[in-house]
Amino acid sequence: MELFLQQLFNGIMFGSTYAIVALGLTLVMGILNIPNFAHGHLYMLGGYCLFFFAGTLGLGYWAGMVLSVAALGLVGVLMEKFVYRPLNDQPHINAFIAAVGSLLFLESFALVVWGPQGLRIPNPHPQAIELLGITMSVQRLLVIIGAIVLIAGLHLFMKKTIAGATIEAVAQNREGAMLTGINVNRVSAMTFAISTGTAAVAASLISPIFMLSPSMGAILGMKAFVIVILGGMGSVPGAILGGYLLGLIEALGGGYISAAYKDVFAFAALILILSIKPTGLFGKREV
Amino acid sequence: MKRLKKFSFSLVLGILTLAFFCTGAWAEEVTIGFTGPLSGPGSGYGRDNANGLEMAVKDINKAGGITIDGTNYTFNLKTYDDMIDPTAAVNNARRLRARDGARVIFNPVFNTIAPLMEINEQPGSKFLMMAYSSTPKIDELDNELTASIPPPFTAYVRAFADIAWEKGWRKCGMLVTLGAYGDEWRHAWKHHWESLGGEITADKPANYYTETDYSAQLSAVLATNPDFLLIGGPSEPTGLVIEQARNLGFEGGFVLVDQAKMDYIADVVFDGDLSLMNDVVGIAQVLDVPTPAVKDFNKRYEEKFGVHNTFEAMLNYSALNIVFDAMKEAGTVTDPAAIKAAMPEVLPQSAENVPTPYLGILETKLLVPATTGVIKDGEYAEAYQYLWWPEDEDAFEKYKKMAPSGIETRWLPLEGYTTD
Amino acid sequence: MFTKPIHTKLLYLVILAAALLLPWYVPDAYIFQIVTMSVIFAISTSGMNLILGYTGQVTLAHGAFFGIGAYGVAIMTKAGISFWLALPASALISAFIGLLIGLPTLRTRGAYFAIVTLCFGVIVWIVSGNWIELTGGHNGIFGIPRPSAIPVPFFGEITFFTQTGMYYLSLAFLLIVLFALHRLVYSVFGLTFMAVRNNEPLADSVGINTFTTKLVSFVAGNFIAGIAGGLYAAIIGAVSPTAAGYMMTFNFLIFVILGGMATLSGPVVGAFAIPIIMEFMQFLEDFRMLIFGALLILVIIYFPMGLVGGLRRLNEKVVAWRQRKTTESGHASS
Repeated sequence: MELFLQQLFNGIMFGSTYAIVALGLTLVMGILNIPNFAHGHLYMLGGYCLFFFAGTLGLGYWAGMVLSVAALGLVGVLMEKFVYRPLNDQPHINAFIAAVGSLLFLESFALVVWGPQGLRIPNPHPQAIELLGITMSVQRLLVIIGAIVLIAGLHLFMKKTIAGATIEAVAQNREGAMLTGINVNRVSAMTFAISTGTAAVAASLISPIFMLSPSMGAILGMKAFVIVILGGMGSVPGAILGGYLLGLIEALGGGYISAAYKDVFAFAALILILSIKPTGLFGKREV
Repeated sequence: MKRLKKFSFSLVLGILTLAFFCTGAWAEEVTIGFTGPLSGPGSGYGRDNANGLEMAVKDINKAGGITIDGTNYTFNLKTYDDMIDPTAAVNNARRLRARDGARVIFNPVFNTIAPLMEINEQPGSKFLMMAYSSTPKIDELDNELTASIPPPFTAYVRAFADIAWEKGWRKCGMLVTLGAYGDEWRHAWKHHWESLGGEITADKPANYYTETDYSAQLSAVLATNPDFLLIGGPSEPTGLVIEQARNLGFEGGFVLVDQAKMDYIADVVFDGDLSLMNDVVGIAQVLDVPTPAVKDFNKRYEEKFGVHNTFEAMLNYSALNIVFDAMKEAGTVTDPAAIKAAMPEVLPQSAENVPTPYLGILETKLLVPATTGVIKDGEYAEAYQYLWWPEDEDAFEKYKKMAPSGIETRWLPLEGYTTD
Repeated sequence: MFTKPIHTKLLYLVILAAALLLPWYVPDAYIFQIVTMSVIFAISTSGMNLILGYTGQVTLAHGAFFGIGAYGVAIMTKAGISFWLALPASALISAFIGLLIGLPTLRTRGAYFAIVTLCFGVIVWIVSGNWIELTGGHNGIFGIPRPSAIPVPFFGEITFFTQTGMYYLSLAFLLIVLFALHRLVYSVFGLTFMAVRNNEPLADSVGINTFTTKLVSFVAGNFIAGIAGGLYAAIIGAVSPTAAGYMMTFNFLIFVILGGMATLSGPVVGAFAIPIIMEFMQFLEDFRMLIFGALLILVIIYFPMGLVGGLRRLNEKVVAWRQRKTTESGHASS
């Protein structure tokens, strides 16, 4: 029982990271129709930015996190403007190639700047608490709480502010939004900045527990892609639910069944679900 | 008159040329090749290997290179990145052989060594394969032009099991990396530990290259109450496993597979703090190698590259020095077969010259002791060197005399060498 | 549309002659190696082009089918079966698994199909690393025997121990595959592929069975990937999970797109140009992938149709300019 609770806790913590990362990705994929395969690598860059601000410059964890989010937001704006916007009128596969180019670029950028050796961000909250017989470190709890706060905040932003409403408008009808005077390019840049910013939040929350390496985003990015498709492109609840689901599947599957094949479960589940429901769990009928 | 002038001129020219040949002012540069992961996963490991080679080349050139039959040879190292892709590794090796003229090529990953061993005996493009891989699988490929650099990992399996057993540990939980190397390690360890009479309580591998959270596997393994954990893969994630296990309340010991280095983990992951690493058994810290050369090497290495010194660097350094000596002995820098054949003549190496002296060679295996250590009460302690190749007492005594002295030398017969 | 101008045919003949005579003028073993590998990748990329370029289905499992072919040949030849039997058998296995996967997944469209196939690719990759009894785990299978010699009456036999033998073996398969694809895409059946690509609902409404069309294309493309994988296994002599990895798929994808989709020459050009550029960029060392990544983005922005597409566009412009000039001069003279 204790083991089960421990695995549940692990699964939820992991699911929180997946949920935030997938949330950012579903925004650009669903709303802007950009298959941003480099999303995991932006997450990686977010972690390194935190290292730079909090570790190298010594500004402390929370200030480092804010600056990292801001830096990644800027990277998002630049990426949208110089990489994806010129490809707007081309087939999606071309944007996908550009994404592969971006991820190669980002990974070797980190390699050149910070080297191949793993880097550590000092854990700001190394304490641990015992509850119901399971051990939880404070930083891990922070990941879970941070994810909930971020999701709630984003929801309020989308529903209660004008900026959020314009994003929704563009998502529903790009031409229509343009006709009502919305600057679609500005909305695209904003959406992209939010997407990369959330990736930086995820990286900042979780990297004190782990270690930074240039290739840390590759598998995560792919999983986020899977979650987004599983939940249905552009579906925010789909991404959140899919994220938590994947975290739990992995923790329980990896703990109880087979650690070597734990990734297979998630990917096989996706094939199965899409074979039955070709547009994902929460997807709109046709893309 | 004119004729005389011409004659004397050519005479002077002739003498000059002759003098040029005799004094060894005739210099040539020999290329040593390296292909390995310099970017992507495993790039830290690849660079450690290449750094060791770079040090060796720098040192030999500083010492004036080698001289064969009056010709002076200096060396240069060419490194290419293969990202552990066999296609790229073969391309790189072809390039090193055909374009750069390398007759000796180093590679540190079995997945790329195997395809290179398909081409290194092709007539017209032969090269000596210097394989940094501890898997006994290299012997399955019948290849004359290969020498393997590290001790076989099975030697470490025996040595670590030896130490763990002495400590009274019996119940082992396993959380080793996935991948070719980890799979073999797990298999060999399980077999050996159970044959000793020990118990494996859980075996939950994790991919150390792509994952950074091991809490799911750790929770499952720790729930079986093991005395100690067998863990390891690359050093940094191995450090995370130790930290996460301690955070989950685990107080037992750890055995690290030979890829993970305890001093590297302590310095890089924990900033020199050994408090979480009590009762860690593994490869000794580099400074526990009992040779005069090691301290100087360590200092120069860390100054030059700004990274932690590792056994990969030291073993490659020493192995390349065997190549230099063997070239001198064989009187050729271009014939890989002759260079390989001359290796037994130049061994054992002196502990004054290289940090990890090799004591001999058996077919494809270069022989170097497996050095182990333990962290106890916040200090590095109990360093031993295991000789894993002698088949009988006499051979052991013979090699024991050759081995550097200063720490306890133990005999560890590896019957049949492979994984039982 | 079906005939090409004389000078294009001449160009192809020159290229063919150059390819056949290559062993006589290739400068060294290094270039020879790159060319041989490019020939193999060109075969596989052509298969991907059938699915992606002609039928419009973004498959991201091509590396997996390449890997299945490679493992098939490796396992069978290690078990003592002749390469000449193992190669077609492995290609058929690739095609059959393609059929099994295509049946459920081709119901999905666009990005969904891409991701489903990517997932399948990742599964094959993971399984190939962990099914130790069959695939040798992450160590893979090594020491794969070379293809056995072919006896030729009155001549002796053709052996495959040298680079030359391996090169001709791959080249022969590339020519066969290109010929077969040429016949296929310029047939009526080939037109249905493109009809599905251009407008699936419209193709459906004019009576084309779009699902069967997509399935045939998917299976045929994977058959070709299997052949290429089998050749790879025989030439490299060792197979490990990298051969089935998703980076392999991405490489093929880059070759197809940058070479030029939906042209027969595009994938071949891509499979030759990009590895050669990558080799050339070795001198950049740590900065190589950084610059390659940036280059990839720039090329896809400025040459969305790929190299061959870009050349065609240039050619069309030249033709149009010439025509305008002749008409103008015609006007002037009248």
